[in-house]
Amino acid sequence: MIALYLVAAIAVFAAIRVVIERNTGRKLPYANVMNFAVAGTLVLLLDHPLSLVAAAAYFVGSTLEANAVASTYAGGVKR
Amino acid sequence: MIVALQVAFGLVALLGAVSTALTRDSYGKVISLGILVAGIVPFIVDRGYLDVAITVSLIAPVVTIFVLMAVRRAEA
Amino acid sequence: MNAVFVLGLAILVIGVLSVAFVRPKTYVARLINLEIPAWGLLLVMLAYDEALALLTFVAVTAISTFVIVRLMEWRDASC
Repeated sequence: MIALYLVAAIAVFAAIRVVIERNTGRKLPYANVMNFAVAGTLVLLLDHPLSLVAAAAYFVGSTLEANAVASTYAGGVKR
Repeated sequence: MIVALQVAFGLVALLGAVSTALTRDSYGKVISLGILVAGIVPFIVDRGYLDVAITVSLIAPVVTIFVLMAVRRAEA
Repeated sequence: MNAVFVLGLAILVIGVLSVAFVRPKTYVARLINLEIPAWGLLLVMLAYDEALALLTFVAVTAISTFVIVRLMEWRDASC
């Protein structure tokens, strides 16, 4: 039970840290921290066999989203 | 859900919504939209709709990539 | 009054106000702000127990966003 509170506290801290950051490039690592914390919360929240699949789907989706934003912010594919 | 967790993730979702509304940079808006989705998904899982949570988790990055196409076209 | 219902209404009102009074008055900023009421309405619909309505609403929101992005590229007036 203590792990759930710890991961939720990490998520809230990372979200506040993303919001108060001024530089856009420095927002991306904290967004990754918050995504990993939320993916850990989804596993611990509910005792169901499909909960692991939901957490894995959220992990894959959020990592893809963060990589797409970072790649486009860095200039994207040069054509 | 436990009340403390409801307050925590509600705070995360409200922070994402307000930050998306007030940020002026387009990339900052997209990152804040990710925070909003991260605050909403634990509420969906807690109600027991795991199939809806899987669908939302797989469709939200697709919407973000669609928006990023328009953002890159507008920045250039 | 459920907590999910109240949170969904709050996000819906914030999103509607941000779409109406968008600050950088561009199409891209308005499109990104238009995502906020969609998630707020999803959270309101979560308070009532209809799984098929939630799935349909998420899919239709993604398709409509894709249509609006293609329309902005077609008109070539994305700023």
